[in-house]
Parts: sequence; structure tokens; C-alpha cells
Amino acid sequence: MNTQIIAQMVVSGALMGLVYALIAYGFQLTYATSKSINFGQGELVMLSAFFSLTLLNFGAPYWLMIIGGLLFGAALGLVVERAAVRLALQQKSEGWILLSIILGLLGFSAAENIWGRDDRPFPTPISADALHVFGINITPLEISVAIGVFAVMGLVELFKRKTLLGKAFEAVSADRDAAELMGISATRTIMLSYGLSGMVAAMAGILIAPITTVGPTMASALILKAFAVAVVAGLDSGFGVVLIGIFLGALESLTSFYVGSGWREAPGLILLILALALRPNGVFGKAAIVKV
Amino acid sequence: MKKMLLASLLLGAFAQTALAADVVKIALTGPFSGGSAPMGTSMRDGAKLAISEINLAGGIKVGSKKMKIEIIERDDEGKNERGALIAQELASMDDLSGVIGTVNTGIALSGDKHLQEKGITKIITPAAGSASMTQWSKAGVKDLSIFRFAAHDGIQSAMVVEHAINQKFNKVAILHDATNYGVSGRDDLLTQIKKQGNKIEVVATEKFNIGDKDMTAQLLRAKAGGAQAILIWGIGPELAAVSNGMAKNAMKIPLVGGWTLSMSNYIDNAGKNGDGALMPQTFIEEAITPRTKSFIEGYHKAYNVTRIPSPVSAAQGYDAVYIFAAAVEQAQSGNTGKIKLALEDLKKPVQGVITTWQHPFSKWDPANVETHEAFRRSDTVMGMISDGHVVFANQADRARLIKNATK
Amino acid sequence: MLKRFLWLRGAEIFAWLLLAVVPLWVSNAYALGLLTLLAIYGILLIGLDVSVGYLGQVNLGHAAFLGLGAYAAGLCVTLLGWGMAGALAMSVLVGLLFGGLLALPALRLAGPQFALATLSFSALTTTVLNEWEALTGGAQGLSLARPPLFGANLTAHGFYWLCLVLLGLVWWVMRNLLASQWGRAFEALRDSPIACDAMGVGTYCHKVAGFAFGSALGGLAGGLYAFNFQYLQPQSFTYELMVILLLGVVLGGRKSLWGAFFGACLIVLLPNLLSNRLLFEMIAAAGLLIAVIAGARAYRHKTQQIFQSLAPIFAMGLLVIGGLLVENTENWRKAIFALMLFSVVVGLPDGVMGFVAKFLVRSLGIVPARIEPAARLDAVLSQPVSDAKPLLELKNLRRYFGGVKAVDDISLTVRTGQVHGLIGPNGSGKSTLVNVVSGLYAPTGGEMLLQGVALPMGSLLKVSHAGVARTFQNLQLFGELSAIDNVMVALKDVYRTPLGLLLLGLAAADERVAQAEAMAFLALVGLQDEARSLAKDLTYGAQRRLEIARALARKPALLILDEPAAGLAKPDVQTLIVLIRTIQARGITIVLIEHHMDVVSELCDVVTVLDGGKIIAEGSPEYVKRDSKVIKAYLGVVQEEFAEPLSGKELPAC
Repeated sequence: MNTQIIAQMVVSGALMGLVYALIAYGFQLTYATSKSINFGQGELVMLSAFFSLTLLNFGAPYWLMIIGGLLFGAALGLVVERAAVRLALQQKSEGWILLSIILGLLGFSAAENIWGRDDRPFPTPISADALHVFGINITPLEISVAIGVFAVMGLVELFKRKTLLGKAFEAVSADRDAAELMGISATRTIMLSYGLSGMVAAMAGILIAPITTVGPTMASALILKAFAVAVVAGLDSGFGVVLIGIFLGALESLTSFYVGSGWREAPGLILLILALALRPNGVFGKAAIVKV
Repeated sequence: MKKMLLASLLLGAFAQTALAADVVKIALTGPFSGGSAPMGTSMRDGAKLAISEINLAGGIKVGSKKMKIEIIERDDEGKNERGALIAQELASMDDLSGVIGTVNTGIALSGDKHLQEKGITKIITPAAGSASMTQWSKAGVKDLSIFRFAAHDGIQSAMVVEHAINQKFNKVAILHDATNYGVSGRDDLLTQIKKQGNKIEVVATEKFNIGDKDMTAQLLRAKAGGAQAILIWGIGPELAAVSNGMAKNAMKIPLVGGWTLSMSNYIDNAGKNGDGALMPQTFIEEAITPRTKSFIEGYHKAYNVTRIPSPVSAAQGYDAVYIFAAAVEQAQSGNTGKIKLALEDLKKPVQGVITTWQHPFSKWDPANVETHEAFRRSDTVMGMISDGHVVFANQADRARLIKNATK
Repeated sequence: MLKRFLWLRGAEIFAWLLLAVVPLWVSNAYALGLLTLLAIYGILLIGLDVSVGYLGQVNLGHAAFLGLGAYAAGLCVTLLGWGMAGALAMSVLVGLLFGGLLALPALRLAGPQFALATLSFSALTTTVLNEWEALTGGAQGLSLARPPLFGANLTAHGFYWLCLVLLGLVWWVMRNLLASQWGRAFEALRDSPIACDAMGVGTYCHKVAGFAFGSALGGLAGGLYAFNFQYLQPQSFTYELMVILLLGVVLGGRKSLWGAFFGACLIVLLPNLLSNRLLFEMIAAAGLLIAVIAGARAYRHKTQQIFQSLAPIFAMGLLVIGGLLVENTENWRKAIFALMLFSVVVGLPDGVMGFVAKFLVRSLGIVPARIEPAARLDAVLSQPVSDAKPLLELKNLRRYFGGVKAVDDISLTVRTGQVHGLIGPNGSGKSTLVNVVSGLYAPTGGEMLLQGVALPMGSLLKVSHAGVARTFQNLQLFGELSAIDNVMVALKDVYRTPLGLLLLGLAAADERVAQAEAMAFLALVGLQDEARSLAKDLTYGAQRRLEIARALARKPALLILDEPAAGLAKPDVQTLIVLIRTIQARGITIVLIEHHMDVVSELCDVVTVLDGGKIIAEGSPEYVKRDSKVIKAYLGVVQEEFAEPLSGKELPAC
């Protein structure tokens, strides 16, 4: 009985952890090119989910909704880049932190007023009835989330490695100045990374919405953990986020089972502070050399 | 320039319209934005419906003339600081007749002292947390201007525990959210279990946060303890997550909890997993009497909805206005002190949508909170979710209410 | 002079008097409540401004300090039965303590990582307050009664005045702190933490102290908050409040006491602003007008990019149009706040009060305060000693980056009073060597001695305190500080007033001495007339010289000049040569890294040539120039026409 419970906790925690990892992956994309992340990423997840829900309500088929949602997410990502990030990067300031928080606030308020403050169910063709595998309850919906997370990350990685645009992306990530000398526009590449990041956020929203329901606050709890995962793994750790995401998700479940459900949030937060104190570049991150 | 702006704003805050003798000013407060907005707005809209009915009929009869009701609306956002400031603002209005509202118990705790200090009559509805009234009995206040018009958690938890005992459950799990509402609900449940003879063993007491969607850990603890039912205190979205989690973990045990299980955001988000959930209700959105029929239809029409977001809040807001109006009529004045005295001894029965109110309040006695509580066990029924609607869990209750209304 | 004093202090005194007497002629409890909250938030935001404004870090944890302070005060009253003074002292202490605890690990980070660390701390605080039910009452909250202050029960008016007095006190202390070396250091470390450490101002300890101080103010505000509301719940102190506080500071204007105060007004009054439709429309229209005017002016003077002019106009336009269309403005509160903020952050980076202050200074013709006349250089720098004894000795010094041996077993001696040249082609290890000596990098192995004593390793700060000062190849000036402030930050042996007295405004004498000394150094490098210009506005040559003046302010035994002539025009190079001679004549030993061969030839007593991390030649400039290995290192293969001594022109450096 006991091992079964632990297994169940680990599995369901790890599945949530994969979603944290996916959002954290979105942070990595923009950090790689511009050393900035969107603090309003949670609002991107939420707005894309709302938009997709609206598409469904207008009778769009499921596949069209996904495409529409992804495009919407990418568009929002571009807006964030243009309005919040570009200027600050040019001025070499950290103004983007504040500006992206502000844009997030605007998005939140808009969602509250356009779609209402209530949480709404998100229809899905995938069943939410549990299957029993080795005594563990798992729903096809959850499995679809896991598949979706890996599919998105795999596709983006494939894009980065196999296409010309993707190679430009890698070049700017590796050495921005050198890439610019080779004629690659860093600004365009940063735009691309924000677009991709927005798309990843939208996918996270579409994947998680059938489980969490859609509402203005749907991503506020998720995002804090995605931050934790991104930072603990390292903002340039690549697939490190998957491992840390799974670990953190499972740890959360086990904490709330053994310590008390009120302490559920604590391990992620403590891990984040500890990781920053002990390994500021993350468990899988690389240390940078200061130059003057 | 800034100073001038500040000064003019402050002046603006003080400026009160001249006392108009033929108007009764009532403030409606609650969270009209934020997480508990469905309750706040339903309460407000129910109250406004009653006010517009009264005003349409010419107003409240005072002496030879009729006084119309004027509304002051304040959104406390569900935040204690806002609530306290609003209470201060209301307390400083010298022509205010009374206040109706408050959803969050924390706001009653942080704000009501300012009203009580100035002796301004307030009817709390629909906040159900016990503390909003017990704070006064604990403080031993001799004269109280705060009343409550909601089935307080004491009644609700008693009903929930009673139900569990009647069903011969001997092991239950208590789940609650981490807010004031959830935690005091947990304490009330534990008190009631003791009070009703300790017949039930609580195998797990679990908490969840606002915004939590994954309840696996809490549910597995309940399951591991062998719980036969889950008693729950929380609000809509998280309650739905619990129901969905129960379905996923194949836990086919009853879910019984506070009145918030009737919130639309629970019903919608839990879908078929919500069927069968039980909760105490003071009002069920079913046109069983002409009066309820006209109220429900009136609400739907006025606010262009097909279902009231929180029927209980709406009905309580509606009835609270009628009771307040009756007090004004009896006091023959819009003076808040006189209205308070009238409320403590309402002579005439008030036809409400929930029931016909006979002497709902009596003179405040710090030893007995019930003196300022309108609802008794008998005014509350068990509701049940069935196919996306709240229905009477016991047909006997339905029949009783119909009978009462036709009496 | 008098005019400046009158306007600056007059505005403050007027504001305080007004705030103090307002409750006398309005006895409205609500207005009094708003004013009390204004004073409390004023303290809170001044505290937040320390980290967000002066330290330049996005701090998302200040709401947690408010909460911790509030609970500390509340528990002192409910559990221990303390009076108000004791409880408030405790809340300050708790803020200071937790601020320090968080800052110790978190302030080693910067940017997003720091923001995330504070965000986590804030969430963790809420969780603990909520879960530790036995102590805090958890979600059910903590009710308390306002305790007496030194035995006297305060009325609502009395409590307001207490809050106001405390705000005034905080304001005054803060002003003293900011006008001192501390305030300059706060601003300097935002521009260049590396230069701060190299100038002997401990970046880390200043950051931690500043953050802890700000958090202590948060704690104090928390204590007052507790006594004001007399009911506490953990969820009052969450991220949502934090965002509003942050926005208050930014909107009001960072790095400004008035800005923090304005931000507090805004936060307190915002709900009232929005509920009055007409007032809101007026504010939105005024905002649009300001955006258009400021944008148009900036566009004409080309001081900003088009985006900076257009974006605020767009945002304010949206606000005006939205205000006309939207049914209930209160529902859109967050969006309105966001639009206003966006405009301010993009268009008015100094915030509303920063803008107003600049405008007032210009339109009222307020002149800046007088600067002390320069001190005599002899009084500032010690007398020359040129005994040519070994000053800096490097023994088998190594520094590897992975497999790259950037500095490979270098031993050399720099003698007192000499100018020691360090040359070599790019990538030869000069910069790494200097970075190891000055403490930016820790050596992989080897020994370093300064005047026979081991030089601290891997710490810019400790090396600086040991008597080594340096300039930087890529300028590391404090761009937002004036030239004189750049020098004053670095000054050694001047600031003697203990912190306690300094906070009480008793450090004016130190400041006068510091100004005089700094002027002496500026005069030495010929920048005495630019004392007030911001470092970033100086010409390139002037910036180079300012860095030297700043390094001299350390009164160093050894001065390392890292390519001081790089990018300078011919006349500037001449000035530089004269300047370096003057410095040498003052008995300061110099290590000079340089590409200009004529500079090296003219100045250096000894030259060491590096290539591939190793010394390939050492000797007098003339000797080194003829060395075939040196020529080869610079030019690759030795060809006929280049097989003559290198001279006169800049050595090729790509």
C-alpha cells in the first residue's frame, strides 16, 4: 500500500513537473539569445489558453485551435519583445524585468475583463477517466500532457539544429558579437526566441488547461515553480529543466503527503533560494567568466 | 501641484451630499472583483433587485411620505486593508442608514470595528465564518450594531456532521483551503464532531491553497486512512479540483461541505464529477413558490443570465434589503441607531424569498451570538448537485418550504 | 545658495506642516485613515527605494518584510504584552535581521536571479505565516489591540501623528545617509560593481547593508501597519501587494524621497481616483498631454529613440480611449495602473517626481550647492619615496582557464618609484595578469607579494585595501555620478564619522574634506571645471583621465593603468604622458599596459614583454624594442623591411 502511494505521488507530481519544465524551457529560449526572461510568462500561458478556448467555443476543430493558440502565443511573445525587452536591452539595463511584469499585469487585467474572473472548463477529446497501471491511477489526459511536453521541446530543438534560422539562433546564443559579425541580426534572432517562447507558453496553456481549468489566475501558481525549475536547473541548461521539473514535481507531492499539504510550495522555494546561493548558474548551468 | 491634487482629493473624500431627508442611504460592500467576486456580485445584484423593487413601488413608507433607497457601492476586492478603509469611510458618513454585505470573514474582522464604534447598523451577508460575530461576544460588547444574515458556519458544520453521522460513517477526512474561511470551517467541523458525541474518527485533516489544481496528495492521505466521506470547506475552483481528483483516483465516496459547493464555478468545473455533492443551502434556485419564481426570473432578466452565479448570496442579499426596509419602516426613520433598535425587535413578519422572517433578530446578548444571527437550523436545507444544478437533497425539505410559503 | 536651501528644505517643511495640521481642520475618520496609511506606505516605499532605486535591483520581497514586521509587532503585543515602542523596535529588528539573512545569499546574484530569490522568499514567508498556526493564528488571522505608547493610549489622531513623526525621522535619516559616502557608494555599485570593489568600496557589504536597512524600514512600516489595522492575515502580504508597491516606487520616481512619497500617495488614493469618473478622465488626458509634450521634445532634441516617444503616447492614448469606452473603470484598475506605469518607465525613466524635480530646478533657476575649493595636493598625497626597492613581486604566477594557460609561470618584480611597462600582442596574457594581481581572478598557483607581504588573492576589494589601485581598459566609470562624486567614492582615509552620527546628519565635516581632496585630484587631471558633469557625459579623453583621478583617490602604493591611451587622439596622449610623469613624481609606482610604443618608450623605466602567457623579454624600452623575439611575437615572421626597431607608431593590435 505504502509503496503504491509513493509511486502514485511521484507519478502525478512528476506529470505536473513536466509542465513546469515546459514553461521553464520557454524561459531558456529567450535567456539563451538575450539573457532576459519574460516575468509575465504566466499571463502568456493564461491568455493563450483563453484565446484557444474562445476558438473552440466558436466551433473551431481541435487541430485548428492548437495552431491558432500557438500563433496567438507567438504574437504575444513578439509584443513582449518589442514593448518590454528591446529598448531595455539596447540600454543595457534591467528595465525588462519591470516592463515585463507590467505587461503581464495589463494582460491579466484584460483577461479578467474580457473573459471574466471565473475559472472555466476547457473541453478536450481526450478522456479524463483513469487507467490503472501497476496500481497507479493515471489518465490519458495526463499522458497527453507528457507527450505534448516532449513533442514541443523536441520539435523546437530539431528546429534549432536542422534549419538555417535555428542555426542562427544557436549562433547568437553561443556568442552574440561573433554572430553579428557574421551578418546574423541579433535583434531578429531575439525576436525569434521570444516568438518561440510565446509559442511554448501557449502550448503549455493548451496542454494544462483541461486539467487546471482556464481562469485569469490559472498560471500564477505554475509560474513560480517554473521559475524555480529554470533557476535550479540553470537558465542555460537545456534539457536539465526536464529532470529538475520532474524532481521538483515529485518532491512537492511527497512533501504535501508527508509533511503537510500546506507546505507543498515550500520545497520549490527553498530549493530556489538554496540553488541561487550555492550554484547561481544552476545545477546544470555553466559558470561565466567576468571580463573587464 | 501635487499638494493641491492631494488636498482636493481629500476634500473630495470628505464631501458629502447634503442630507436629503427623503432618502435612505444603504452601502453595499463586498468583493466585486477578485476570487470571491461571484459571491460578492450575486449578493450585490440580489440586493439591488430588492432595492429597485422597493423604489419602483415608491419607497419605504415613513410617516406620510415615502423614502427611496440610495445605494453606495464599495468594492473591497476581498482585501482586508481595503475593507478596513471602506469601513472607515462609511463610518465617517453621518447620514448613512446602514451597510449590507461582506463576503470575506477577514474583512468583517478588520473593518466592522469602525462601524460598531460609530454605531452604524450593518447586516453581514453572505460571510459565514463564525469569527465575524464571535469577535463581539469574546470582547463582551454590550451594545452591538452588527447583525448577520447568513447561515453561519456553526449551523452549516453541524448539518454536515449530522449528515455524516446519519449515514453511519465512522471515518471521515476533512479537506479545507488555507484561507480564513477554510481554516475556521475545519475548526467548526472538529468542534461539531466532538459536540455530537465523537462518533466519527477524522483520519486526515488536509489543507490546499487557493489555485491548487493537483489534490492527489490530500486525497491519497484520505484514502490511506480509509475515509468513508470527505468533509470539505473551500471555494469553487479548488472544490472542483478535489472532485476531479477523486474521480481520477477512483474514490467513490460522498463529498459533503459548506454552502460554497453550490457556486457556479464548482459546478461548471467539476462537471459530472460534481454530481451528488451535498451542502447546506439557504436558498435553492428552483421556482417552488410564486415568490421564488418571481425572484429568480427577475434576477435572470435584470442581469441577463440563465443561472445565478451564487444563488445563496443573491437570495440573502435580496432578503436582507427587505428586512432592513422593514426596520426603517418600523423605526419611521433613516437614522441608523433607530434602525438598529427596530432590527432587534421586528414586529411584523417580512416576506422574503428564502422564508417568511418572523422576528429574525433580538436584543444583543454577548453570551448568546444567536441574538444577532437570523438563520437557524430550520431555515437551512441540504442541497445536492444534480446534473449541473443544485436541487433539494431531501424532498421533505422542499415540501416543507412549499407548505410554509402557502400557509 | 540661499534660494536652493529655501526651495529644497522649504518644500519639505511645508509638506510636513501641511500633513501635520490637516487632521486639525478635518475630523473625518476616513480621511485620517487615508493619511495614516499614507505615512505608513511612505516609510515602506522609502525602504523599497533603497533596493529598487539606489541598489538598482528588482526586489520582489518587500511585502514580506512588511508582513514580518507586522507579525513581529503583533506577537510582541499579544504574546508578550509589550508596549508600542518596544513592539516597533522589534519589528525594525526583525526586518533588519531577515533582510540581512536574505541579502547574504541573494545579493551575490543580480538581475532576474535576484528578483526570483526575493520572490521566493516572499512566497515562503507567506507560507510560514499561514502554516505556523500555533504562533500566528494562520489564515484566521491575528487580532490585536493598539498598545499604549510609553503608557499613554493613542487616539486615532495621536497614532497618525506618531506615524508622521516616524516618516519624518526616516526621511531625515535617509537624506543624511544618501548625502554621505554610503549614498554615493549605493549609486556607484549599480553602475559598476567591479569598479566599486577595485576602489575599495565593498560592493557586497554595501549591498547587504543597504538591503537590510531598506528591509528594516519595511519592518517598521509593518509594525505601524499592525497597529493601524489591528488585524493581520498572511495573505495580505503577497505578490499582488508587492507589485503595487514596486509600481508605486517606479511611478513616483526611483532614487528620490519625494518619489517614494508620491508613490505612496498614489497607492493610497488610487481607488478614489478611479471611482471618480471625471477625475480619472482628467488624469488620463493630462497624462496624454505630458506624453505628447515630452515625446515631441525628446524627438526634436533626439535625446531618445522614437519608440521611447511613441510608446507612452500610445499607452496614454489607450487609457483615454479606454476611459471613454469602458463601463466600469474600477474593474480595469490593474490595466490602468499598468498603462500609466508603462508610459512612465519607458518615457520618464526618473518617474513623475524625477521629471517634476528637473523641471522645477530648471524653471526656478536653482543652482547646485557650492563645492569646496581644492585642497593642496601635497596635503593629500604623501611625499615621494623612490628607493627602487621591490614593491610588487610575482613568483611563478599561473592562471589557467580550463586548458588555456593565460598566465603561465610568470615571475617579475616591480620596483618602487618606477613606471613598469607591460606589453605584448593581444592574447599574450597582460590583461589576465593584471586581473590576477588586482584580485579579479584568483591565481591557479604562484605567489604575489606587495612590499614583502602576501597580496590577498581573488578579491578586488582586499587588494584595493592593500594599496593597489587600477584603471580599466574598458572604462568602468560610475556613469550616473558626477565627476567629483566618482572621485569621492574612491577617496581613502577621509570618512571617519561612525554610521550612527552620520545618520543624524553629523558628517558634514567629512564631506567638506572629501570634496576638497576630490577637487585636488580633479585639478591634477585637469577636470576641475567638469566636477559637476556626469561621468557618462564627459569626452572620451576626459573619462580616461577621470578614471586615473579616481584610482589616485585611493592614494595607492601601486597604480595599474590598463591601456590608458587606447583610443586617445594625439594631443590627449601628450596630456596623458605629462600626467603620468606627474604621478610618478609623487612617488606612486605605476604598472603601465600600453600599445602605444612612443608612450612606453617615453615613460617606462622597465618593460616586460609577454607572449603566450610567458615573459619573452625584459629590460629598458630601447633594449626590448630590438629583441628579435619581441619583433617576432608582434609581427609573426621577421621580414626585411620590418627587421628594424619598432618605433614611433602604435604597435599593431587587433
